[in-house]
Amino acid sequence: MPPRRDAEFIVSDGSEPEDDDLDEDYVASRAARARKGKGKGKELAGDSRKAQDQSYAWEASYKRSWDTVQEDEAGSLQAAVQDLVARSKRRRLLGGDAPIRRTIIRHMMLLMDLSTAMLDRDMRPSRFDLTLSYAREFVGEWFDQNPLGQMGVVGMRNGVGERIGEMSGNPQEVLKCFADKTKLEPAGEPSLQNSIEMARASMSHLPTHSSREILILFGSLTTVDPGNIHDTVDACLRDQIRISIVSLSAEMKICRDMCERTGGVFGVALNEGHYKDLLFELVPPPAEKSSASHLAAKAAANESELMQMGFPTRLPSTAPPSLCVCHSRLRSEGYICPRCNSKVCDVPTDCDICGLMIVSSPHLARSYHHLFPAPAYKAIVELDGSEAPTCHGCSQPFPTAARDRNLVPEEGMSPFGRYRCPKCKHDFDAECDMFVHDVLHVCPGCG
Amino acid sequence: MSGAHTLPNQLPPIHSFLTTRPQTTLSRLYARPSACLAVFRLLDDVARQIVMSLLWLDSKTGVDLTSWVAPNETARKHYTAAVQGLVRLHIAKDGNGRILVLPAFQAGLRRALTGGGDHRSFGVPFPIARGKDAMTTEQLDDYALERWESILHFMVTSGSAVGRVAPPSNAVIFLLRRSGLMVPIGVEKSPESRITSQGFQFLLEDSHTQLWDLLLQYLAMSENEGRDLVEVIGFLFMLGSMRLGQEYSTENLSDTQNVMLQDFLDYGLIYRRYPDDGTRFYPTRLATTLTSTSSLSFTSSKHEKAASEGFIILETNYRLYAYTENPLQVAVLNLFVTLHSRFENLVVGRVTRESIKGALANGITADQIISYLTVHAHPMMHKNSPVLPVTVQDQIRLWELENNRLKSDNGYLYEDFNSQGDFDLVLSYAKQLDVVLWENREKRKMFVREDGHENVREFIRRRAEA
Amino acid sequence: MSLPAHLSLILDLSPVPWTALSHSTPPLSLRAFLAQALVFLNAHLALRNENSVSVFGALPGRSVGLYPPPGRGHGHGRRQAGGEEEGSGGGDENTFHVFGQADEGLMSRVEEEVAGLEEVEEDTPPALVGALTKSLCYINRLSNPPPPLNPTNAAPAPPHARIVLFSVSQDASMAYIPFMNCIFSAQKLKVPIDVCKLDDSEVIFLHQASHLTGGAFVHIDQREALLQYLSMCFLSETETRKTLAVPTQDKVDFRAACFCHKEIVDIGYVCSVCLSIFCTPVAQCSTCHTKFSPDTLLRFGGSATNGHSNGTTA
Repeated sequence: MPPRRDAEFIVSDGSEPEDDDLDEDYVASRAARARKGKGKGKELAGDSRKAQDQSYAWEASYKRSWDTVQEDEAGSLQAAVQDLVARSKRRRLLGGDAPIRRTIIRHMMLLMDLSTAMLDRDMRPSRFDLTLSYAREFVGEWFDQNPLGQMGVVGMRNGVGERIGEMSGNPQEVLKCFADKTKLEPAGEPSLQNSIEMARASMSHLPTHSSREILILFGSLTTVDPGNIHDTVDACLRDQIRISIVSLSAEMKICRDMCERTGGVFGVALNEGHYKDLLFELVPPPAEKSSASHLAAKAAANESELMQMGFPTRLPSTAPPSLCVCHSRLRSEGYICPRCNSKVCDVPTDCDICGLMIVSSPHLARSYHHLFPAPAYKAIVELDGSEAPTCHGCSQPFPTAARDRNLVPEEGMSPFGRYRCPKCKHDFDAECDMFVHDVLHVCPGCG
Repeated sequence: MSGAHTLPNQLPPIHSFLTTRPQTTLSRLYARPSACLAVFRLLDDVARQIVMSLLWLDSKTGVDLTSWVAPNETARKHYTAAVQGLVRLHIAKDGNGRILVLPAFQAGLRRALTGGGDHRSFGVPFPIARGKDAMTTEQLDDYALERWESILHFMVTSGSAVGRVAPPSNAVIFLLRRSGLMVPIGVEKSPESRITSQGFQFLLEDSHTQLWDLLLQYLAMSENEGRDLVEVIGFLFMLGSMRLGQEYSTENLSDTQNVMLQDFLDYGLIYRRYPDDGTRFYPTRLATTLTSTSSLSFTSSKHEKAASEGFIILETNYRLYAYTENPLQVAVLNLFVTLHSRFENLVVGRVTRESIKGALANGITADQIISYLTVHAHPMMHKNSPVLPVTVQDQIRLWELENNRLKSDNGYLYEDFNSQGDFDLVLSYAKQLDVVLWENREKRKMFVREDGHENVREFIRRRAEA
Repeated sequence: MSLPAHLSLILDLSPVPWTALSHSTPPLSLRAFLAQALVFLNAHLALRNENSVSVFGALPGRSVGLYPPPGRGHGHGRRQAGGEEEGSGGGDENTFHVFGQADEGLMSRVEEEVAGLEEVEEDTPPALVGALTKSLCYINRLSNPPPPLNPTNAAPAPPHARIVLFSVSQDASMAYIPFMNCIFSAQKLKVPIDVCKLDDSEVIFLHQASHLTGGAFVHIDQREALLQYLSMCFLSETETRKTLAVPTQDKVDFRAACFCHKEIVDIGYVCSVCLSIFCTPVAQCSTCHTKFSPDTLLRFGGSATNGHSNGTTA
């Protein structure tokens, strides 16, 4: 596979920022999703054509990059390179600011290949060690962004699926699965079918409003299955399980099929960094599939529920100790159920007395920025003289003169380094623009 | 001058100097708000917080802060150490766990924080100079660096390169000799001096430590000359609180301080725009950063960033590339590197056994060399971990160990025992005391450490009498 | 020694509570408060040569940066404290020049801003979120300084930053979501938010802010001893707090504001798709337009029939 990811810095035709070389897999999976929605044939054709056109887009953009790079007066390329970096950053920000429906209560089974193929040392220090350390990071980040999610771990070795960790909402418990390396020593052949069936079984009881996902970290090029794996994929489709695979060796037809049919993402890691990128793309909650389709929306309506939740009061470690209702242990810290005033040790949980779901409201609030994103700022291309002299966010003065006249306005870059909020009409510099949309999710002018 | 590398948490040397002063001196010093502020800054984080917590309380008996200390062993240790430090500096009093900030310091620091008053301890600014008359910070940095490096260069070349760099004044040379960094060659009065092993160690320190090393010597010297220490230290702290690029007036200075001004001119701490006009002066960055804890960073234009940035690349094959044209840096490198070739902005050399041996012979330690190389490593080198190639580090240490193959101990040789029995008896006795360094039964000889000699001799005498 | 520290003050400058405070017993006028806050800032600057400060004000309906003065931006932001800026005047021989700079501007700026307020504005809640976001932008800027002109100069280590928020009015539940976003951003930047509560109104979200970011929360009971509180509880840096602890609040209230009426609720109804919170059961989520199944509504309807009708109109 050509290094598409690495070509991200290179500017291609900026007119259609979404449809460039960023991620063929994304385009492909979108095509797959569109295929399922009836009456989307046209869009499908358009998408797959684009997907084909874009296969080697990086080559074209490589050529173009030659022209876009300009030396500054001192003959240094630094400014130009920084510019390219800033541009690619900004492109990520462009994208709709309309609230998208995202699945927020997620359930994920992490399937780890523990076959001998993982002992290969083409990734440093070995595929197995790298996978373990990335899996740890992934779990931490995943729970950070999906605080209400649950995750379980299954290993694939010796032709069977092996349950390593039960479905749990506590990141520490999941991380414990990766703690003892010796228990995970790779051996034998992997079996996709057995492992997926095992994962499917452990997710079958889950409520319908949550997402069910399987993430497979696959190093092998073979699989030993007892039956027809396509039946398993069909079963997953019925159960609305989304399968995503990150392969460490090469693309396999069955893997790609599996992902495309279930609406997941398939990727082949080129190197260590790319492996991590692929993995971490799966951290943010996926957009609810087929949200546009009326039919599906109706179906979704039936699955969705209103849940009653209680927001507790946390007692500090200096509070007088009392018995908790979950373990009947005497301790000071704890959370008080707002309905029945009983004390539980940790949240989120269901109150053991009155059955109320107790969550800490910050857990919920963590996902709200997906619902109410900050409006995308517009790049200012012309000054009319009435602009504020400093950035509204960080009070850093703006440059007075345009930096680079060669910039094409369509690329979303302002030659003055000014980006204006469409709502409050305040100007921000590039750094604050990035910060507001990546981290803060609140516009300092509107807030 | 214990080591070249000051640990990040180590307190500045002036701190320990102050702790050894009598309370009366310190109390008089604390009458100046600028001195209070400077001393306050010299404290460690925890001690500063303790002072701050108590600063605005008007309690006569002090306050017990132990309930605020985090309930773990390290925190308690930190706290106790901090309180002891405060007591030693006579900033606070510890009465059975109740801490009280002493009134002198309390008043001084309060005054410093709120401003106002009529103490004039932050320096009297000279009315602003206009236009080209004013000095830019770059000009001041250039000047300070040049002065300072000329002193160091004089040391490293032992004055042999006098032609190229103007030699420092006699006062500076006197101070260098006094502090044992250099010794005179031949006659006491002649300016010709030779660098000592202490001097070599001094060269490898960072400039902030160097400066304080010299200033401490200066303080000791001033004390010997009968100057008022409070005036001297107070002036140092005043300089430390001044603003770079601002010209100050001398109108409020005492005679002692005016003398000091002259001395500091030689060190590069002070700059005079008009050498003949004794009423005003500029402090340089060397002066204004005296009480800051970070190392100096000059914004000088002439002396390129290499001064504050790393410039050394050391390869695993012992080759060393130094991107510098600064003669001082080249001279320092020359202390422990065999230099091969020199280009416009690059010096190429090799770390060899001979070069390191030479440095060791001068009294420089392996750790100093390694820390110097680490501190001045080129930014590219910082991508490696550890910064320096391990092989080279180890080898430098091994070369140092070679020197330590012989260990000397003072002691006494016992021989000519009358009989084997006598010898065995004395030997077993000495062994009980664990003072035997060497023994030879055949020749009936043994070597006893100095501290055991007394006992063993006594033992033999008693035997002989019996 | 340790890294330089940056202290960002956020002042709630709503005129109504300040008027109330200056007439309460013991009185604390804005002027007296500012004077003590300035000494507090000086104390922070005194700790280390490299320390720096910034001050932001939350006025009704808008927020302003008070210090450093706009335009004297970041490249120097930290240096300012180091005293490398060319000063405006000859200076004062009785004040440490670093302090003088901060003192001069701040007082007059605050009075200017407060005087500029119009009567109508006074009832609107203070734009705490605006001030907080600006402060975070500023801190973000300090930790990611613009690339130096000379690439060989390594960027200096970013300072440890801290926010101290002075609150005199109660929570604005309207701004629940933006406020929470600020908290999470502060968490990400590892910036503790210390809260100094000067009056007695209820501030659930500020509780959460200081708890989630690991900051101190102090409710000032004896306002006459404000300066003592300030230097005892809010001056210590993150490292020092490991040795000398700072007070945190007793209980953290994890209540949230509902999306429909912006009321603070302890038991809410949450959309399973987007997690929007409602104070009463609703038939359709107003955020993601999901229609909820009738059984669920019935289930909650039993306990709250009027809630149901409310919900459908909402």
